[in-house]
Amino acid sequence: MADKMCMVVSEGSFDKAMMPLIMGQTAAAMGSEVHVFYTFFGTKLVTKKANPKLPGMWRLFTGMFRNRMKKVGIPGYQEFVKQCQEMGVSFYACTTTMGLMGVKEEDLLPGVKILGAAAFLKLAGESQTTLFIG
Amino acid sequence: MQKDATLDAKGLMCPMPIVQLAKKVKELKSGQVLELLADDVGAKEDVPAWCSRTGNQLVGTETEGAILKFYIRVK
Repeated sequence: MADKMCMVVSEGSFDKAMMPLIMGQTAAAMGSEVHVFYTFFGTKLVTKKANPKLPGMWRLFTGMFRNRMKKVGIPGYQEFVKQCQEMGVSFYACTTTMGLMGVKEEDLLPGVKILGAAAFLKLAGESQTTLFIG
Repeated sequence: MQKDATLDAKGLMCPMPIVQLAKKVKELKSGQVLELLADDVGAKEDVPAWCSRTGNQLVGTETEGAILKFYIRVK
């Protein structure tokens, strides 16, 4: 059976948004089953409107970062999410924080599942690797 | 080294060479040898790690200036 890997993402800035995609896509390419759970400020990252920016003053440099990443083959955020899904990466939104962050089910990107903490912890318990990105 | 296919991943940075490699290997048959070209220094460690994890065999590596060449026998 394939190895399992879980990630928790609790922040919504550009860097925190890209990291789980880079790690997740790589793990999927290495044959792992990948689950990414978005909570608190991360919840916005799995919505159709998601367009993460760098934090604080760095916000102004987001476009430059994005262009540099494009040059080395890393796609834009939404396209990247789609590529990850095509490779089998599963994305989840936390039920409780969806309410807290004002995210509705219809706002979520296609393929994103809604999950509670217990169900995620079950997945995490079965995983060989769990990373927290926050 | 003898090869059946080449994947040019020059100019791509981590994780894209690995992602492209994983996709390309799926197109090949067992036993075929893929040549991977990369100039991301990270690939030096990433490609052997990917091979050992996925069970594909790294049968050779070469360096030509800044270009790394990997030869991978498909599982």
